[in-house]
Amino acid sequence: MRPSGTAKELKARRGGGANWGLIRFALRRLLALVLLAVGITLIAFFLSHLVPGDPVSVALGEQASVDPVARAAFIHRYGLDKPVPEQYVIYMQHLLHGDLGNSIQSGRPVAQDLSVAIPATLEVALVAVTITVVVGIGMGLGAALRKDSWLDQVLRIASLAGVSVPTFWLALVAYYVFFFKLGWSPSGGRLDPALNPPVHVTGLYTVDALLAGNLPLALNAVSHLILPATVLAAYTVSFVARFTRSSVLEVLEADYILAARAKGLPERTVIFNYVLRAALVPIITLVGLAFGSLLSGTVLVETIFSWPGVGQYAYRASTSLDLNAIMGVSLFVAIAYVTVNFVVDLLYGVVDPRIRVE
Amino acid sequence: MESSTRVFGLSDADVVAAHGIRRSRTRTGSHWNQPLAVAGISLSVAWLIVAVAAPWIAPHDPLAQDSLRFLAPSVSHPFGTDELGRDVLSRVLWGARISIPLAFLLVGVAGIIGCVLGALAGYFGGVIDELVMRAADLVFAFPTIILAMAVVAALGPSLENAVLALIAVRWPAFARIVRGLILAMKDSEYVYSSRLLGASSLRVLLADVMPNVAGPVVVFAALDVGTAILLLAGLSFLGLGARPPTPEWGSMVADGTLAFNYWWIGTFPGLAILTVVLAYNFVGDTLRDALDPRSSRAVESRV
Repeated sequence: MRPSGTAKELKARRGGGANWGLIRFALRRLLALVLLAVGITLIAFFLSHLVPGDPVSVALGEQASVDPVARAAFIHRYGLDKPVPEQYVIYMQHLLHGDLGNSIQSGRPVAQDLSVAIPATLEVALVAVTITVVVGIGMGLGAALRKDSWLDQVLRIASLAGVSVPTFWLALVAYYVFFFKLGWSPSGGRLDPALNPPVHVTGLYTVDALLAGNLPLALNAVSHLILPATVLAAYTVSFVARFTRSSVLEVLEADYILAARAKGLPERTVIFNYVLRAALVPIITLVGLAFGSLLSGTVLVETIFSWPGVGQYAYRASTSLDLNAIMGVSLFVAIAYVTVNFVVDLLYGVVDPRIRVE
Repeated sequence: MESSTRVFGLSDADVVAAHGIRRSRTRTGSHWNQPLAVAGISLSVAWLIVAVAAPWIAPHDPLAQDSLRFLAPSVSHPFGTDELGRDVLSRVLWGARISIPLAFLLVGVAGIIGCVLGALAGYFGGVIDELVMRAADLVFAFPTIILAMAVVAALGPSLENAVLALIAVRWPAFARIVRGLILAMKDSEYVYSSRLLGASSLRVLLADVMPNVAGPVVVFAALDVGTAILLLAGLSFLGLGARPPTPEWGSMVADGTLAFNYWWIGTFPGLAILTVVLAYNFVGDTLRDALDPRSSRAVESRV
């Protein structure tokens, strides 16, 4: 956020220096990511291994967990008989080789489970973010330009309702109305049950289906995406709209807007090239934030739409005290958090050349 | 972590708003004439009355099971009956006695913890600041529900543990706000003059700084009551909060998902959550406009 430095620095940045700055910045972020990941594994590991819950009886059921032989075999198999610090060292050694361990509940490697769940969540989250940006910024801009009009009032109430509605209930109502009553929406899942998923390339079904040249399959995937993504976006659209409104109102008061209008620039140029561009920086921050809230939302929404994503996986992992799976999800969340912040910081530079990374 | 304060902290405008509180306080009166404010106040008062009076106004016992299961809304059961033949209206009314007081408790405790830690961090800086803010960063790195879910799963699902988990994830929001405000006014002239008069740190904090922090914190707390109700209902919806047969709104919506051709089971408790949260957001929004006439800010919290 620092203002531009001395003339010398500026020159250095205009030359080849800018790219080096970007690389240094990326490397610093990568280091931060590694530190955060280690911190998260440390905390998540010790918390989840020291909690009073008993993963053995959850995994084996009350009956079998009383049987000492089965119990000992299970504990030995997952290395739970070793001291916790040693377990952590073993876990980290495996992690360095890309091995997240086996999930207790699915019996498969956690990495394999996540490679299916993450794209599923990512696909619906990306659609939701797109809806959020387009509709949220549009609503906020409209409200700000018509401040105190009936449109402003309606949008204000709509956005307050959007942040007040329980996501899981909205999902239920949407499912009931659009699937059960109207039959417009499919019953849930990522594809119709009769269809086979496309060959795995990105894991995003729409993209993979298009890559395979299978348009009907892609359209089917889209039809499954619309309802969950819209429900998920209801909350984020509302708060982005509210924030955009206040951000735009602030910019509208600036002297350079007055100057632009005084110059006789067309209103459209003033709004899109001057107002929106200046208002965009804080909005981008908020959209980054929205990504986090979308991840929270997926836990609640995925259940209703039988969406096999990270939310459902995290839910099942934490209710069955599936330690390796909990660790895997924690790591994914940490990486997603750092990545989103990184992208947000890069976007700052695109929108506002004054805050190019140094 | 240079970006963390920028991403999750307060913008300059918030700080300006904080400084403007005294100036704009005189204008507060007019804001309460707005329809939104009136609606918010009436709705939240109405729900408080329902919470207090539920035992007398509920037509049936919320736990009493009946052979009349899945009855559609009618005169004797205006919201119908659920899968165990319990009266949905009575359960919705009794639900107010659970969600509303717990949300106040949650916001109160998280607010006090957050304010104290944030004030210490902002005022003394240094190691305390680092410790508190890095702890807050860690909490912020996780989506609220996922973190709360993990905490509840570890402690065991119950309403008490859900509240504990949500306190653990909500205090950092208060800490950040208070820290930001205190940082902004630490170097103000009235704090300097108070120091010059020989006031102790504690006295400066309580007598000079705190009164100026109170406004934004109250606004945030009002908005956070809504968030708390949503989060608590969300955890119960997932089966990590209230246990059956407690008439808790989130778990009642979950009952609705199991029998969704009987729409009334899930719809009415959901509407109850929506109206309560809406009421507190109306109030919080009006308060914020009153304190910062220029803008209405987005709800900072995430669900």
